[in-house]
Amino acid sequence: MKNNKLLLTATVLVYLFLYIPLLVVMLFSFNDSRLNAEWVGFTFKWYGQLFGNAEMLRAALNSLIIASVSALLSGTLGTLAGVAMHRFRQKWLSALVLGPVAMPDILIGVSLLLMFMLFNVTLGATSIILAHVSFSIGFVALAVQSRMAGMDDSLLEAARDLGATPWQSFRLVTLPLLLPGIVAGMMMAFTLSIDDFVVTFFTAGVGSTTLPLEIYSMVKIAVTPEVNAVSTLLMLLTLVLITALSRFSPQTLRS
Amino acid sequence: MKKLLGCLLVIAGTTGLAPLAAADKVLHLFNWNDYIADETVTRFQKQCNCKVVQDYFSSTEEMMAKLLAGGGDYDVVIPTQNAVEALVKQNFLMALDKSKLGNMTNMAAGFMNKAYDPGNAYSLPYAFTTTLIGYNESRITELGIDPADWSIIFDPAVLEKIKGKVTVMDDSEELFAAAMKYLGYSANDTNEQHLKDAQAVILKAKPYWAAFNSSSYIKELTVGNVWVAHGYSSDMFQARADAKEANRDFSVNFVLPAQGAVLALDNMVVPNKARNPILAHEFINFMMAPENAAELSNIVGTGNPNASAKAYIDDEILAISAIFPSQEQLATLETISARKSKERRFISRLWTEVKVR
Amino acid sequence: MHSRWAKTLLSLPPAVYLLLFFALPSLMMLFASFRYPGDYGGLAPWYFLEDGELTLELTLENWQRLFESTIYLGLLLKSVGFALLTTAICALMAYPLALTIARSPKKNRDLLLLLVILPFWSNFLVRIYAWMIIFSPQGALTAGINQLSALFGLEPINLMFSSTAVITCLVYVHLPFMVLPLYANLEKHDKALLDAAQDLGASRARRFWLITWPLSLPGLYAGAVLVFIPSLGIFAIPDLLGGTNGIMIGNVIKQQFVEARDWPFGSVLSLVLTAITLILVILAGRLGRTPGAAK
Repeated sequence: MKNNKLLLTATVLVYLFLYIPLLVVMLFSFNDSRLNAEWVGFTFKWYGQLFGNAEMLRAALNSLIIASVSALLSGTLGTLAGVAMHRFRQKWLSALVLGPVAMPDILIGVSLLLMFMLFNVTLGATSIILAHVSFSIGFVALAVQSRMAGMDDSLLEAARDLGATPWQSFRLVTLPLLLPGIVAGMMMAFTLSIDDFVVTFFTAGVGSTTLPLEIYSMVKIAVTPEVNAVSTLLMLLTLVLITALSRFSPQTLRS
Repeated sequence: MKKLLGCLLVIAGTTGLAPLAAADKVLHLFNWNDYIADETVTRFQKQCNCKVVQDYFSSTEEMMAKLLAGGGDYDVVIPTQNAVEALVKQNFLMALDKSKLGNMTNMAAGFMNKAYDPGNAYSLPYAFTTTLIGYNESRITELGIDPADWSIIFDPAVLEKIKGKVTVMDDSEELFAAAMKYLGYSANDTNEQHLKDAQAVILKAKPYWAAFNSSSYIKELTVGNVWVAHGYSSDMFQARADAKEANRDFSVNFVLPAQGAVLALDNMVVPNKARNPILAHEFINFMMAPENAAELSNIVGTGNPNASAKAYIDDEILAISAIFPSQEQLATLETISARKSKERRFISRLWTEVKVR
Repeated sequence: MHSRWAKTLLSLPPAVYLLLFFALPSLMMLFASFRYPGDYGGLAPWYFLEDGELTLELTLENWQRLFESTIYLGLLLKSVGFALLTTAICALMAYPLALTIARSPKKNRDLLLLLVILPFWSNFLVRIYAWMIIFSPQGALTAGINQLSALFGLEPINLMFSSTAVITCLVYVHLPFMVLPLYANLEKHDKALLDAAQDLGASRARRFWLITWPLSLPGLYAGAVLVFIPSLGIFAIPDLLGGTNGIMIGNVIKQQFVEARDWPFGSVLSLVLTAITLILVILAGRLGRTPGAAK
């Protein structure tokens, strides 16, 4: 009995630890004071200022475009990789695909910066997308691979028995069954891209600021509660995305 | 599921077109943060019927890193004089088309045709600042400390009283220059032993400092988190104004240390790879018009190399010696000259060690 | 069925992409570590062709610099220490949480997990910013602590710009990475084992230490790897919360590439970090297969 109470208290405390900081951010986004120190009054003005902030809006747009393209590209490449890894179990492919996932972000960012510079590539949205795809492929591949592992091979056998070619059975049986896994992987890639800071920090160019970079620069320089407002909005957006994802395919959340 | 994919494609497609439309008339400005007034930018946007997109940096090293790491297609950059010299040497800058810059005649002769850019082939002066001490007047007077002396950030005996309440610039050139001045050497002294002595001074004081900060120290001073900050005169001017506006129970002030300090002359340049050089020239000419140049002093709190602008600058700002230094003070001020690569690397190593120890 | 060209078609595109954008940059970094830094940053040319004579400009001095003084290795050690501390605290906090979720009725588990993951889905910088607010010298937490410490006659402390702030934030940001693998492991434990032990008269504590704990070790290792490796390379958290003393190896790497523009030395540091990471990943793979692990 006592043990249970201890466990329960510990659990509640950890949950509180997880949520209180975020609640503080949200709370102060409505605070009528430039300081994030004490509650002065309720206001929406920071949200108003946010929507007038052209740089922020531009950064948000950049983030969306980059994340979409990155999700599509890594979705394609990651699916191919995931299927290959599951079917053929090539160790070298796994190492290549999962390498960027295992490495600390800073190493990916820094090595790509080096390469882009040595090849005289002008940094911009393209360089960011290329960088994001390199670490997103692994996540899509993992999602696809685990989905394949849970798939019923007898369906494929049946298709083969009925005379379908390998390509037909892939297109008409495997792919549709894989689709939830692919979509889950792409949504993961999308979120990783929108949220990414470190890799983007090193590979961004002129006029291609993303939302996290903009927030970083606001946190370092300006620090008005506009940052709180944009943070709250981002959290709400992610909440909506997650709810959609969980309605859409609950088990992909687990992977 | 297919719908979702379709949606993503549509979003990517439509949003992809939007920036293309906006790319028509945009000026990309790379400037120190808090170094141009919003009013000035708005007025320029109206005049040129274009958009101004600003990116910021808070140290010369940061700016150089960004420019040289493939970020060279800004339209206008505002580097300090030593950086101009380095950029010219690397053929990074476009020669200015003087025919488009009629307002050039407004500039004070004393700031033109300097050694770092003879004949102003590549740059035109923008503003100048001094690097000095900003402080919380109430607290520092309470403690009986003299802020007009570099010892306020370097002497452990003084730092003892303000431990954890001091920030210094996260800039190797500025901090080393301050330490050299404190030791009585020139800021441009390249003697390796002198530089090592400066490093020793910095390392001894480091445990008392709260942070290396070149960007948000204005806010830290204004809010009262920090009582002493090493930074630019224009930033301190804004901190003082902010503190007054926020009705704090203390005031912020700034002062040039007695041992001398660094004077930085910032310039407008156009990189070779600039996307819109015509717009860039328009902006430079705009900034040399007296009313616009004056706003740099009146709102941002910078020193002004524009002779015609003097008529438009508030008297009380002209009177601030930290912003517009007197003749005697000018004698103690130095501009940092461009370093040779060997010296640069030596200081850079010392600086890395400072951060790591 | 698995024809050659199917194999190629599937694995070639991602392989080519990653060779180009992952393997190649890493190799170039290795090469860069033997070059001289450029005059104004970046890299100096690695060969000179004068009158048909080829001179190579390669050097070991960047690597030598690593061992010249103890400070860089010391910083690596300190970063490893920070990462270890973070991992340990995460494990301590995540275990009760994972255990509770694993033991709760099936219908609650998804919700409880979602509640753990949700903060993780907020932007990384927002999570750091939250702690900047909480730790701020003008904030309620610092004021409260100092009022308390004043009762004991202690000096007021500053939470911001300290190693404490850095570790707290590191734990906060990485906690979900520890909870999830641990939960995945604990969920699979066969309840029958615990029931049998109870029938045999084992106390709750004994049941935990002799059955649950050993079986959970692979999950713990997986979580530890997922927390330790990212923590090691992080720079944003020490940058914003660390002040003058709380910096980690990631900060110095960033500084070499951004401010100092000494890319060869930055490459050296990055390669060392890569090596440490690789060793840990391999080790974790080995440890994850401990005998007696749950299915």
